[in-house]
Amino acid sequence: MESIVLLLGAFQTIFSDPFSLLFILIGVTAGIMVGCLPGLTATMGCALLIPFTFSMPPIQGLLMLMGIFTGGIYGGSISGILIRTPGTPAAAATLIDGYPLSQQGEAGKAIGIATIASFVGGAIGALIMALLAPQIAQFGLRFGPPEFFALAIFGLTMIISISGESLLKGVIAALFGLLITTIGFDPLSGVPRFTFGSENLLGGVTFIPALIGLFGFAQVFRNIEKMEIVPQVKSKVGKILPSFKEVKSLLPTMFKSGGMGAMTGSVPGLGADVAAFVAYGEAKRTSKQPEKFGKGALEGVAAPESANNGATGGAMIPMLTLGVPGDAVTAVLLGALTIHGFQPGPLLFRDHLDIVYPIFAGMILCQVVLLFVGLGGARLFAKLINIDIKVLTPVIFLLCIVGSYSMRFSFFDVWLAMGIGVLAYFMGQAKFPVSPILLALILGPMAEQNMRRSLMLSQDDPSIFFTRPISAIFLILAVLMAITSYRKFKKLRAIEQQIAEDIAESSSAESQK
Amino acid sequence: MKKLLSLCAAALFAFSSAASADFPEKDITLIVPWSAGGGTDTIARALAKSGKKHLGVNVNVVNKTGGGGVVGMSAAKTARPDGYSVGMITFGLSTYKLMGLSDMTYRDFELLQLLNQSSAALSVAADSQFKTLDDLMKYAKENPGIVTLGHTGAGGAWHLSAASLGVLQEAKFNYIPFDGGAPTRTALLGGHVTVAATGIDEVKQLSEAGQVNILAVNALERHPAFPDTPTLEEAGYKLDAPVLDWRGLALPKGVPEDRVKFLEAGFKKMFDDPEFVEFTKGVGLMLVYKDAAGFGEFLGSMEEALKPTLDAVGLLKE
Repeated sequence: MESIVLLLGAFQTIFSDPFSLLFILIGVTAGIMVGCLPGLTATMGCALLIPFTFSMPPIQGLLMLMGIFTGGIYGGSISGILIRTPGTPAAAATLIDGYPLSQQGEAGKAIGIATIASFVGGAIGALIMALLAPQIAQFGLRFGPPEFFALAIFGLTMIISISGESLLKGVIAALFGLLITTIGFDPLSGVPRFTFGSENLLGGVTFIPALIGLFGFAQVFRNIEKMEIVPQVKSKVGKILPSFKEVKSLLPTMFKSGGMGAMTGSVPGLGADVAAFVAYGEAKRTSKQPEKFGKGALEGVAAPESANNGATGGAMIPMLTLGVPGDAVTAVLLGALTIHGFQPGPLLFRDHLDIVYPIFAGMILCQVVLLFVGLGGARLFAKLINIDIKVLTPVIFLLCIVGSYSMRFSFFDVWLAMGIGVLAYFMGQAKFPVSPILLALILGPMAEQNMRRSLMLSQDDPSIFFTRPISAIFLILAVLMAITSYRKFKKLRAIEQQIAEDIAESSSAESQK
Repeated sequence: MKKLLSLCAAALFAFSSAASADFPEKDITLIVPWSAGGGTDTIARALAKSGKKHLGVNVNVVNKTGGGGVVGMSAAKTARPDGYSVGMITFGLSTYKLMGLSDMTYRDFELLQLLNQSSAALSVAADSQFKTLDDLMKYAKENPGIVTLGHTGAGGAWHLSAASLGVLQEAKFNYIPFDGGAPTRTALLGGHVTVAATGIDEVKQLSEAGQVNILAVNALERHPAFPDTPTLEEAGYKLDAPVLDWRGLALPKGVPEDRVKFLEAGFKKMFDDPEFVEFTKGVGLMLVYKDAAGFGEFLGSMEEALKPTLDAVGLLKE
């Protein structure tokens, strides 16, 4: 009860100063712009902005940074939907259904759904954070190496849901991704692996160049191929906002995904990207129309978007209560708080409630601002797809180069991204899904390192994974998830085969006539 | 899009107008080998803030990350030696060659100055059965390999600092590497490891909140922010040369001498800037200044101290 009173008081503080709202607006808008450019992530946006917040009052500076965080995670979906190049890793699950939607001329609707889902998910995350932060933080601490390993295995079962037509090809792609993650300096043994003496490979194949290669460059190559041949999709600009009925039918998905996202985000080390994939897999598994997934299902956009924004609130929980960042962005926010003289951690809740509650309230306000800016901008963004493909493609190409370079200011990364792009292009030709590679890149190091760490802890006794309750539960869940997803997958194939046969029959019947 | 194009054009102009005259006539780049928002980056940005005031031009931080710092430091080493590229160098440089990660050592740089040193803390959870370092060491000696000791990464300063204690005192810990300070702290709080070796400033808040108990600091003197925490020697386990984490500034070899002198003086002024000093106090960072000669001497002794430790943990490649 007390927390609600404090929260209301904090809203009053923020509203009493018009500048605070202005900074949220600037933050969210800037975040969306940073987020939708491939290679510029919410993490970088926050890091670059911190020096400017030195001279601001701490609350306003933080509000702006949280705005960037919220806007950045959401903004990634826009480029994912429009040009099949996720602006941030967290949006990689959104494009699986978002891009087909925009190919059907429904870009506006897809962005609209993404915006509303982000708002719902973000608001759930922020509310959970505001009301339950200390309790959840204590629970998060119970995740040790075996639990993280089990969680990563659970996450990897999502491969079944994102594999598309062939499970075998999906698994091959995922294994390829897992192999790639073993490249580089191994922090556990202190030894370089598969680097062939190259200093550039010591850091491994980093995530952003891989992301840009798998989606951005590959898409550029595909665009070049069809440039003169295939007529371009025109976006139905008039129909921007999804109807109330559509939104209403998606609300259960959004609520569930938002809650899942917040919980995922609150575990230190898991971020919005994992949350998005888990929510996507779960939405597909429990959907009444799983056959639509991958071909433009609205649920397929709503679930990951709601989850990744829900994770923003979740990720703030361990950062504020324990001083342990939930993901990369909150690590930067932690630095910002420290610079302003507030050391996040248990003492923050005792000594600085005057800053804790405005942060909670600000996080909720960020979501509201996001809803308005996003819906207002959706019309504008949707028009982008009407740009001539001959103009758009070189621009995407340029953005991909700039994006892969800017992460580490390294031309090696540009070549790496381009090489991965060529590979991804041919994988696409051979009907290999690329999303499993991405999932493997996210979860592979987590699975490997924590498995080894667990075995070190138990002195090579594997029972450590089954005798600890949380770890055991996640491993059982992983098995259940795999079985049910596989059944659903089989059923889907059967339905599709049936449809294909029907078409073949009717067409052969027609030709006989 | 137009904006981006005009930006590119502006960047081209900036490059083409770089002719040599009075130094410095354009902005200076500070290459940071760790990612934006991390500890080293935050210090670099705070330091760079007063660049305009003391050098006359802006100092821009550029993060070149990867390979445990190798990529960024290598970039600083091979940067054009015109004085416009300054590199932040950190602890890893003391270990790369010894561990076989890279041939690079501090000898490949024109050193400018040392910025800070931090020392390792050994901490346990507040409800741990071990109340003093002595309790812990006795138990570890009687039960070899049972006590789990979390650290921030194999070959890192805190791993080696803890390992040197274990080696010299013949106590066998079960070392569990984590990926950085935050996960190590989490593991300690969650009871997944018994002891954690981290930088002492990294456990400042948790110790103030009474959630962890710092048993000892691996330094020759007590840390001013932790007056009650004994050094290893005071706790009864003397080490001659403690492994310290460090950060400093360096130039590529071959920068004209007058420019080196100018940068040396300029960065010293930035280092002494009250705002920077105030900032480092706030985050609990201990500033330690050494000029180029003193810095080199320190790095030389550091290498000597690291060799036996790396050897003992099986990471020495030389």
